[in-house]
Amino acid sequence: MVATIVSAASTKYDNYPESSSRELFGEAAAEAFDGIDLTPADLDAVYVGNFMGDLIEDQGHMGPLLADHVGAREAASIRVESACASGGATVAQAVQAIEAGAAEAVLVGGVEQMSLADIAHVTDALANAADDVYENEQGLTFPGIYALIARRYMHEFGVTQADLAAVSVKNRNNAVANPLAQFQEEVSREDVLESKPIATPLRLYDACPVSDGASVVVVVSETFATAHDLDASARILGTGQSSDAVALQDRATITHMPAAERAATAAYDDAGVTPVDIDVAEVHDCFTIAEIVALEALGFYELGEGARGAVEGETALDGRLPVNPSGGLLGKGHPVGATGVGQLVELTKQLDGRHPNQVDDADTALAHNVGGSGASTTVTILGGA
Amino acid sequence: MPAWFDDFTAAIDAHEQECLVCEACGDRTLPPRQFCPACAATELTPEPLPDRGEILSYTEISVTIPKFRGETPYTVVLVELAEGVQLTGQLREATADEIELGDEVRLDTEPRDDGLALITFHPAST
Ligand SMILES: [Zn+2]
Repeated sequence: MVATIVSAASTKYDNYPESSSRELFGEAAAEAFDGIDLTPADLDAVYVGNFMGDLIEDQGHMGPLLADHVGAREAASIRVESACASGGATVAQAVQAIEAGAAEAVLVGGVEQMSLADIAHVTDALANAADDVYENEQGLTFPGIYALIARRYMHEFGVTQADLAAVSVKNRNNAVANPLAQFQEEVSREDVLESKPIATPLRLYDACPVSDGASVVVVVSETFATAHDLDASARILGTGQSSDAVALQDRATITHMPAAERAATAAYDDAGVTPVDIDVAEVHDCFTIAEIVALEALGFYELGEGARGAVEGETALDGRLPVNPSGGLLGKGHPVGATGVGQLVELTKQLDGRHPNQVDDADTALAHNVGGSGASTTVTILGGA
Repeated sequence: MPAWFDDFTAAIDAHEQECLVCEACGDRTLPPRQFCPACAATELTPEPLPDRGEILSYTEISVTIPKFRGETPYTVVLVELAEGVQLTGQLREATADEIELGDEVRLDTEPRDDGLALITFHPAST
């Protein structure tokens, strides 16, 4: 039973301090149902990826709240939380429900409303994705954790801050053509290297912004699509998910990401493809170093070689493997619980041939979504309809 | 802060810090654990943990969470104390400019105003 995406939509990722999770989620869902012959009353389930609703909006129990707000009050609903991988984990749950025959039509969404709080409060809320006692209470921040990874990686593999900056330049410049992206201005390598330090060696432009936004995909079984005469936009060929220790200090290695390797292996096996089959990828670049280690874990580069992607233009829009043509988290923004679903919205457009940064002949696509500093990872592989 | 961490830091103050060693596979880990993270065995025996280790990585933090506001910039180090046992703490008596990966540091703790202990590391020479 192959799960099929029949509609996909996102709000623009931005700061909406006057909005709320229910409004953002409703806006994305309204666009997704507009123009397809399906109504929310037809849904068996609504799965919602969300990380910090209870920390920022004092709102837990997002499953039924948002199901109600998209006109599906009676559907089975649940919030899926896996930090910044909440969106990807939500997709995996929906695919499993459809493959098991437990559901035929699922609204898979993610939402985050972060800009209601000041930056210190948001940093504090994000820190919940780390080990509270061994990391946060010792003064380690979330950027600080990635900074520890970056410093060690640079030391072991002779990578420079300018090499890291190349990732930010690529992704932020890709964002300019994407109307759904938060950042719409070109940046240079100097802009990145001269931005203010947040946790050395990482600077402000090595990091993704604080974002609000929602993304949804309507996922149905192939038989349901046929029975309801729904056109498929993309097929979900495979999913994979794995975990690692939450605290960086408890990992066997900090310069590569075994959980991502395991998730990727499972997804490739499930889809029956290998890394060379991937035409376009959206990978989790919450920090510049994160994209580099992701490219290695996903099998696109050998260990220590990932920086070559952006530095040598191989992951540019016109490179051999375009990575983050949407702008990625660095350029498009990172409304935490929405991000993993938003990646599928972008890739569905690529496979449909209607992306503002369209990759030629895109037929197989990969999304990679990370929670915390690598403690949870999902990989989803999509094929053209 | 949970009681187990008070016990862990009190042991450091008494120079009696310990890690847990798996009887089945030898994996070393930090408390509290009921299962070995490497093999899931449940026979874990406390063993002395060295108070000196090597800096694996470090970062000078300028933007922090509310609890540490007003203390920036400060440096956090990730230190390997024994094979497989790494610990995160704040650097004292040196700045980020004065250390390098591989430098030897000494484990300590420091009380905070809220009564909780912070893990700290000092250059081993001091
Ligand atoms: Zn063991």
